[in-house]
Amino acid sequence: MNKRLFALLSLLVVASMALAACGSAPAATEAPSAATEAPAAQAGGAPAACSDALGCAVFKPGDSITIGLGAPMTGDNAGFGIDADNAMKLAVKDAGDFQGWKFALISEDDGGTPEGGATVANKFVSNPSIVAVAGHLFSGATGAAVPIYEAAGIPMMSPSATNPALTQSGSKVFNRNAFTDATQGVYAAEFIYNTLKLTKIAVLHDGQAYGQGLAQVVNDEFVKLGGTVTTFQAINPGESDYSAVLADISAGKPQLVYFGGYVAEAVVLVNNFKQAGLAGVPFFSDDGVYGQDFLDRTGANGEGSYGTALIPPASAAKDKFDAAYLAAYGEPAGKLSPYSWNSYDAATVLIKAIESVAIKGDDGNLYVPRAALVAAVRATSGYEGVSGKVTCDATGECAASGPVFYVDHNGEWVLP
Amino acid sequence: MKETTLRAKSSKPLSAYRLIQALLGALFAAYLIWRFYNVFLDGTPSYGADSWLRFAISGVVLGSVYALIAIGYTLVYGILFMINFAHGDIMMLGAFSGYFVFEALEKIPSPVIDNPNQVFLNAHPVISVLLAFIVGATVAAVSGYFLEKIAYRPLRGAPRLVPLISAIGASIFLENAALLLFGSQRHDFANPVQITRGEGWNIPINGEVVILPYTGVLTIALSILILVALYVLVQRTQLGRAMRAVAENKSAAALMGINVNGIISRTFIISGALAGSAGVMWGIHLGLVYHMVGFIPGIKAFTAAVLGGIGNIPGAMLGGMFLGIIETMGPAYLGMSFQLKDVLAFSILVLILIFRPTGLLGEVLSEEKV
Repeated sequence: MNKRLFALLSLLVVASMALAACGSAPAATEAPSAATEAPAAQAGGAPAACSDALGCAVFKPGDSITIGLGAPMTGDNAGFGIDADNAMKLAVKDAGDFQGWKFALISEDDGGTPEGGATVANKFVSNPSIVAVAGHLFSGATGAAVPIYEAAGIPMMSPSATNPALTQSGSKVFNRNAFTDATQGVYAAEFIYNTLKLTKIAVLHDGQAYGQGLAQVVNDEFVKLGGTVTTFQAINPGESDYSAVLADISAGKPQLVYFGGYVAEAVVLVNNFKQAGLAGVPFFSDDGVYGQDFLDRTGANGEGSYGTALIPPASAAKDKFDAAYLAAYGEPAGKLSPYSWNSYDAATVLIKAIESVAIKGDDGNLYVPRAALVAAVRATSGYEGVSGKVTCDATGECAASGPVFYVDHNGEWVLP
Repeated sequence: MKETTLRAKSSKPLSAYRLIQALLGALFAAYLIWRFYNVFLDGTPSYGADSWLRFAISGVVLGSVYALIAIGYTLVYGILFMINFAHGDIMMLGAFSGYFVFEALEKIPSPVIDNPNQVFLNAHPVISVLLAFIVGATVAAVSGYFLEKIAYRPLRGAPRLVPLISAIGASIFLENAALLLFGSQRHDFANPVQITRGEGWNIPINGEVVILPYTGVLTIALSILILVALYVLVQRTQLGRAMRAVAENKSAAALMGINVNGIISRTFIISGALAGSAGVMWGIHLGLVYHMVGFIPGIKAFTAAVLGGIGNIPGAMLGGMFLGIIETMGPAYLGMSFQLKDVLAFSILVLILIFRPTGLLGEVLSEEKV
């Protein structure tokens, strides 16, 4: 009996190994034997420029130069990942081919969590055909992933990781083209105080890197402007009932509730407002909440709620992108998440940087020197993208536009 | 038996242990009194009566759902001495069943002269809700039955840890099955319009209006009804007597002609039906259904069952209510962040277990059971 069980178990183990091998096959076929790390000295026909401190990624003819995307692709926040994946696929398609090599995108699900971010990062650095990462999307996941890419020399361009601290750690590889939470928080506090003319607000956050950082900035800035923060509270993410914490907030009689966090919790909060005695008090939230999901799932309860988005100013490039996105996916850009335009630009900036440093060797292979690529991404300047003009500063801040606030009116996000 | 010696020790405790216990208790009581002064008597009270009423409503509703789930844990524990960790996921199955019933009824047209677009769900709310509960409880009961058949019965003679691992496995299996079947997004429960979430009776108090939600009242009323029915079932019927006999001593019960396996199956059916009803209530009151919806309530209800004294039915009810109220009123009373409500709930669990190791209403375990 025991022997049979053991045999069965070992069979299972073998089978799962075989399956795992199959699972990694797609990446392997794209650039298996070819895209190997080649320190300059060993590669026979390697060009002189590949005496790169971090080595070169080598692509044989027919291989794809690959960009990674780590994003939540399943779960409550899947809209963000799917949107980024959609936009970046367009960027890869628009990039066409470069001296005969094609670009490719690999998207992996990091669930938006730090653990997921680290797992995906480790997976990406072990794939020699990945030279740059257009992500990750969430600040928590990004924070965990940065040191791993730092060691491997893989430059990042995140379209949405907005936690201010990410660019303050002196990372060489991390860049972002989203405005930071600090910027967003200051804009939001000023908007509430100056435009909406409200002086008493409650600030709520989900205790995670993004939400808490943002809520803290709003809180500090609002007090600085002369307003009063009646309650500063945190919630546990992932629950289905926040009526108690909202009852606590309603005791302070705020004129508005600011929430730093993501859409999953925002929906539960807004749906609990009435029961907690906050009927008629507007809900104000960030770019992690803006999107179709919030409108669909709050219905009438969401009327009058504010969301934040980074929809760029109109331009010919934006119109062209919007049309291409609609044609490819059947829904307008910015519907799934507000990061469609940033995602497209993030991937494109990386592709341009790769093109600027890649060298075709005498042996017919393409060499992408890694350290040079890291520097090239950071040196991006004056690139005209769909989100505006992308220029990176010395710390990796490359945002092209500031936040815009929208209000939920009859199930649509409109300008207030 | 090892446990017997342990029990003997605890009934004649060391005096130092007693002293620490008393000291801890006194400190805690002093803290509570100080907070009471701070919250209610010290100048401007932090919360008005309206806020306290809101906390209480949230707490009692949550508590009654916890109580229903906790009883499922306690029933199974009382008979098999195992923690059925898949119980929360059985609740999830019940919640999904209720969700699909409402979705289906929303599609059935039931036009009246005033309103040609009327659907069955809104035309017959009582029937709809009843149907949702019946289907939810049935699906969950059937799942509970097969869960026991497949995951626990083959391990009946095995060491106590083995069915526990099997239970965790079953839990993960059910969660992932639901993930694959229904997707990872959260589904919104479509309530009949008469019991729209957030609507309710308005109670004017302290110059404010507190809403007593219809769904909350429905939840409390139904769970009290179910709990009373269960109590009668266990105390007054033949099945209940057989269940108690099996709980007391399996082999003696078998000698008396009781079909032990049959009783265990029926216990799982009852506990499943309770979890299923709790799931439908959860959906109606809170409105969200997804594959992990049973996880947190499952953990909380397990805590509630331990708090009340695992294996004890009134204890599980009390534990559930207690936990729900602590979670909502506790942070406000102690002036701490609501993010820490679980820390508070579990600290209180630890405190109670220090003073009463068998829980609030914990039964004295017979040697046979241990």
